[in-house]
Amino acid sequence: MKKILFSFSLLLLFNLAKAQDLVKKIPANAFTVATIKGDNIFKLMFVKDFNESFVGKKLLEGTSKSLDKNFTTIEDFGINLDKNMYYFNQLTDSINYNCFLIPLKDATKFESLINNKDNRIKATGDTKTMVLPDSTGILKWNNNMLYFVNGSIKSNFFADSAKSARYGIKDIRFQNDEATLVDSAAVAVDSAYVTTADEPMVETTAAPPVKVKAKPKTVTKKAAKKANGKKKTVKKKTAAKPKQEVEEEVMADAVMEAAEAVPAAERVNADYDLYQQERAEQDARKKRLAFTWITAQAEQIFNGSYQSIESNKSYTGSLDSKAIAELWVSSLQDVYNAVAPEFGTYGKSGMMKGYGSLNAKLFMDNKSFRISTGLELAQEQADSYKKIMNKKLNKNFLKYVNSDKAIGFMSYAIDTKAYLEELPTLMKQTYGSLVGARMDAEMDLGADLLSLLLDEEAVSKVIKGDALFIINGLNSKEVTYTTYDYDDDYNQKEVVKTKKETLPDFLFMFSSDDTRLINKLIKYGVNKNFVSAEGNIYKIVEKKSPIDIYFLIKDGIVFFGNSLTEIQAINSNRVNSQISKTHKNLLSKNNFSFLFNAKNLVGKVPASEIGGEETAKKFNSTLEKMGNVYMKSNPIKGRLVSADISAEIPNGHENALKYLFSLIENAAK
Amino acid sequence: MNLKQFYKLLLFIVLIPILSSCFEVIEEISMKNDGTGDVVLTINMSQSKTKVASVMLLDSVQGYKVPSKQKIQQELNEAVAYLKKSEGITNVKSTADFNNFIATISFSFKDVSNINNITKNILAQQKIKATNTSSYSYNKVTKTFKRQYQAIGTAKTEFNKLKPKDKAVFNGATYTSIYRFESPVTSSTNPASNVSKSKKAVMLRSSITDLINGKVNVSNSIQLSK
Repeated sequence: MKKILFSFSLLLLFNLAKAQDLVKKIPANAFTVATIKGDNIFKLMFVKDFNESFVGKKLLEGTSKSLDKNFTTIEDFGINLDKNMYYFNQLTDSINYNCFLIPLKDATKFESLINNKDNRIKATGDTKTMVLPDSTGILKWNNNMLYFVNGSIKSNFFADSAKSARYGIKDIRFQNDEATLVDSAAVAVDSAYVTTADEPMVETTAAPPVKVKAKPKTVTKKAAKKANGKKKTVKKKTAAKPKQEVEEEVMADAVMEAAEAVPAAERVNADYDLYQQERAEQDARKKRLAFTWITAQAEQIFNGSYQSIESNKSYTGSLDSKAIAELWVSSLQDVYNAVAPEFGTYGKSGMMKGYGSLNAKLFMDNKSFRISTGLELAQEQADSYKKIMNKKLNKNFLKYVNSDKAIGFMSYAIDTKAYLEELPTLMKQTYGSLVGARMDAEMDLGADLLSLLLDEEAVSKVIKGDALFIINGLNSKEVTYTTYDYDDDYNQKEVVKTKKETLPDFLFMFSSDDTRLINKLIKYGVNKNFVSAEGNIYKIVEKKSPIDIYFLIKDGIVFFGNSLTEIQAINSNRVNSQISKTHKNLLSKNNFSFLFNAKNLVGKVPASEIGGEETAKKFNSTLEKMGNVYMKSNPIKGRLVSADISAEIPNGHENALKYLFSLIENAAK
Repeated sequence: MNLKQFYKLLLFIVLIPILSSCFEVIEEISMKNDGTGDVVLTINMSQSKTKVASVMLLDSVQGYKVPSKQKIQQELNEAVAYLKKSEGITNVKSTADFNNFIATISFSFKDVSNINNITKNILAQQKIKATNTSSYSYNKVTKTFKRQYQAIGTAKTEFNKLKPKDKAVFNGATYTSIYRFESPVTSSTNPASNVSKSKKAVMLRSSITDLINGKVNVSNSIQLSK
């Protein structure tokens, strides 16, 4: 019985802990969600270690100094470090919200971070609110959580006069005839949205619903900024223009009177000042409107009831309990559509059809850093990719990888036949809307024509679709160069000297079942003197090339390389390379892989070639600190394509996070 | 992957370490007692020919556009054409060896001061700001040959603004100047310069970086025996 009770209470505790996770507070229509997982981070590094680290100390010193207090641990900030912190944004047609949700452990500690708090914090029951001095953001918190929201008004929403009129805002341009300017100035008197920092909630009734439209046609913050920037330049241009318009007869009375009294140039200046003033007023009104909206949004997040992001399968499916940080974007197609209007005619919506949510996760453990990214596809697309990816690297390639010496390699394997067959479909989905819906028939025709012209089967025999590029080490070779000697009388004498130059030995190979075409090409090359032959081994005769390139066709593999010895060894079956198990797995299990093994490069490049001893020392020590870096694509799971990038940490470091901190410390020294 | 792309990938890997290269700039002036003389300017990149050949296959490197062989030849021709029109300059010739990457320009002058503005103007034509002010003079009466050189401060600051890997291009690059005379040299004021055994030539060698940074000054006043 005790046991049952114990497990029951455990379960309850667990659920309670889970219930407190702030993810519940993220609305289902959030566009982007980013998570920092406190518990996973502080598993890798105790809070005490963090406080004592370089970064921790700097942070604590900085905050102590700026607030004139003495903080000894980051726990003094009152944040609950064992829980997840979230960032999310919501896009609407009129405003974008950027929001942060931070778990609190001790609200009073958090409040101690605020200077002059009595004047600035407003309390309603448990909930406390503070408005940023410029009214662009709101902080709201209770004993468990802190919420910060800031909003940016969408300028293209207010460019639509019908929409902006609803909020008493006018889109004004300097080129407008002056009558409008004066007119709108008169309208400006009655603002329904007068709010002050002290009374943030005066006009909440006027706020539009926080609910976001199903298909937001908004821009990301960056794009919006860009748009603003553009507008500015336009403004300047038009400001220079009005000289030509001075003669215009249609003018508002007020302006007219003034105009009669002052010379043309001054009149333009006066107009421009008026315009500036009017513009500032409209901007202020937009700002007030934005403030009303964020106030309502914050209220909704704090006290409203709504469906949380947890109901979104794409989001929940993207999570990984071991990740340190996560990022999820609801839909690549939507991202594109959101940004598209900013591109004008080029940004036709409907592009990137079929590309769904995007996610990225960061992992750190005792061996490596890893970033895992995934992209959700529409079923049709996923099926196409599955067909294309249904190919493994030629096993015979592995014989030529020498793991002890290899500095790096890159491989890929796709099914050429499937690729050629699927290409038209994929192109149509991705770019179809670019040429317009009416072009569907033409797109289809094009796709059929391509299939007709290409014999996919035949092509896939010549180039099977797998290839491997390896750098199996460095080799130095002697090169000659011209310089001058001088005799006792400084008479110049041209001399030829030699020096050693280090070059990587590379080998590139691809599979081919049908080498007839390649053989014909070689024969043609030999006839035209582009290629010279020595038995089975061919050399590309290219004077411009600083290195010699040899090639060979053997056992259905076409080889290219710059080391004659290596090509000769392959030709006579004398290759004696050992591939490690990790490298073998990396190459044979993935459609795409890349590896850079910095350690095999340490000390291999002579100092004279890097630019002196000192540079060489730096170069080598950087390489020594790097572990293997590799990338790979994962098999398609359901509708998700994904890829990983990993960087191993060098020996002697407890885990990746601590290693990262030591790197930062070293860099700051 | 076609061959060109393939080269590019390869070159990229080769070039990743650092684009340090050795090149020589040589300036040779032979003065006659009557004040006339000859100049030979040489740029020799032969020591870095593998790298230069590699770079020439690329469109741009480290963000700089790589000129084509034709473009280089054209600019050399323009420089020659300009020299031919210049006052007091005759016998202009140029060579360009694109296998070893050595280029020379040679010409004769009536008076050494004829060359004072040439370098500056040629650079200006190519829209390159001069990095120094340099002038030559020869006094037939006192038999004094003078080179006045002043590194422009901005050159140093501009150079220091470059990224380390761009600066590295100049590591190992050298500058050599040789002045020859018909009469023996009695004194040469620049401590870094050497007088030849026959006393009829003066040589100064320096690294290009020292020159840009102003660590080395190539100003000199050479007195010939009367």
